[in-house]
Amino acid sequence: MPPFNNIYKPFRAKLTKVIEESPLIKTFVLRPDEEFAFKTGQFIELSVDGIGEAPFTPSSSPLVRDMLEVTVMKTGYMTGYMHDMKPGEYMGIRGPFGRGYPVERFFDKEVLILGGGCGFAPIRSLLYNLIAISDKLRKVTLCYGSKTPEDCIYKPYIAELRKTPKFEVLRSVDKADSNWNERVGVVTVLLDDVKVDISNSVAVVCGPPVMMKFGTLKLLEMGYPEHDIYLSMEKNMSCGLGKCGHCMMGEYFVCKDGPVFTYAEIKNQPNIWN
Amino acid sequence: MNIYYSIKRDSWENSLLRLSSSYIIYGVTGNGQSTDYDLISERNISSLVYNRPKPATPLKTFFLPVRENVTADTVKEVPRIIIGTPNCDIEALGILDEIYLDESFEDVFYRRRRESTIIISSDCLEIQEHCHCTAYNINPFSTGKADLAVILRHDDIILRAISEKGIELAEKSFNAVRSDDRTLASFVESRHHETVEILNRTGKGLPDYRTTGRLVKAAGESVWKRYSSKCVSCGACTTICPTCTCFLLIDKPGFHKVKQMDACQYPGFERVAGGEDSLGKLPSRFRNRYMCKYVWKPAKFHSTACTGCGRCIEACIGKINKNELFRELAK
Repeated sequence: MPPFNNIYKPFRAKLTKVIEESPLIKTFVLRPDEEFAFKTGQFIELSVDGIGEAPFTPSSSPLVRDMLEVTVMKTGYMTGYMHDMKPGEYMGIRGPFGRGYPVERFFDKEVLILGGGCGFAPIRSLLYNLIAISDKLRKVTLCYGSKTPEDCIYKPYIAELRKTPKFEVLRSVDKADSNWNERVGVVTVLLDDVKVDISNSVAVVCGPPVMMKFGTLKLLEMGYPEHDIYLSMEKNMSCGLGKCGHCMMGEYFVCKDGPVFTYAEIKNQPNIWN
Repeated sequence: MNIYYSIKRDSWENSLLRLSSSYIIYGVTGNGQSTDYDLISERNISSLVYNRPKPATPLKTFFLPVRENVTADTVKEVPRIIIGTPNCDIEALGILDEIYLDESFEDVFYRRRRESTIIISSDCLEIQEHCHCTAYNINPFSTGKADLAVILRHDDIILRAISEKGIELAEKSFNAVRSDDRTLASFVESRHHETVEILNRTGKGLPDYRTTGRLVKAAGESVWKRYSSKCVSCGACTTICPTCTCFLLIDKPGFHKVKQMDACQYPGFERVAGGEDSLGKLPSRFRNRYMCKYVWKPAKFHSTACTGCGRCIEACIGKINKNELFRELAK
């Protein structure tokens, strides 16, 4: 019997490095057994052998084909196992799946990015992409919030980003320590500091559901049109194929029709924030 | 297309037994109470029943097993013939095909099973208490999606070929005699008409499929709370539904995955690792099934997501009757 394309079967990827980003967040550097291409904002289904599979959006550059980085918060059963994994072990990958960020729609515009906690992971992949096309963009502003300074991830990357022309980084923490000299408060407070030409701008939001909700409401209040706010939705994407039903959000399968949607597309769907 | 053939019942059964050397044959057998699919051999071929309404098991289970390893490297499917499927279940294959044969992500296990299966439908000439296919514009006899339909008349089997493949089956596999006069056609058509009349009568007051969608969408929280108060989240309604196909992927060592039937009625169906759960509360889970069938799936797919078989009403241990709910909404 000839081989066939089995949509349920993962291919293997070797874990080459584990980077501790914060007490609860690690970045896993993977070398897939086969060349792997994805568009920024698309997600993969990542398996721990015999334990479980969960959806993650790569945090690495979509321009790199031989390596892949996934940043994961220790939250449940599968991520608990994942956090104990060591370089040299193998994981399984299916994908990439879904619709990512339509970066071509960002051309000649200012991009305002609002990220919270581990929601920085997909955003970092987007930032790599935006840096590569920065000559086509006016300006990129990242507003990133975390609970404490210790929970801020990608610290070396932020330092690099701050040196990159056209890119600005604003950060806030819910609870500061004595060394913190940036903003204090929930991430939306950063939007008060942002200077942006809304009429020629798009906004991107990614983070925990409650942050997505209040971030979006604030952007609408600022005057962003609904179709210019891009949300990376988090649902229980189990198969990634638009079949298993676990990620249904009204008439959408988040895994196939998303995970990136404009607010205009999903505002009338049920339970978008939980 | 409707081309009529006839064959004596014993010749029909002998033909099926001959075919059983190259096909696995499943057929509907049963007693006065209920019917279901069974593996057919010489032992039970004479207990095949015809023209009774839906068997207990929906047709989907032949194509989407309750549990299967979906990481196998090969798919071996033995050719099958399934006899006696009512049209509600055949129409339900439409949405299964749209989901599982979707060209961007084709499920090869489903496709091979579909390709290796011949379905011979059975025209319903009687109904069960909760049958309501005609309310959703579905006939109790196959029109387009089957190849061949079978009707028992005294000791004769009438074969109604619906497609070219059906003609080939009737003529080559069963050596049935073609009838070009209107006798068989008139008999079958009048029986169809009688069944439709009964269904229309019993389904009186039920809104049609589209109207049901509008009513479900507009229904207030109190309706869902009241009707779901008798729901125990057992998932019987989705398990028995010919169009519900949600599943869970379970990981096994060696990066194997087992695909297992799942139900949106089970707690935790949409829960994410962070704890958020859109369907955490019973009334929202209960409403989800109705919204999925009558609002969201119709917006997304061309095929119907409810064929009016009524199995969900019969299966409900809380005795929740969706048609009572719809009649109330339609008032």
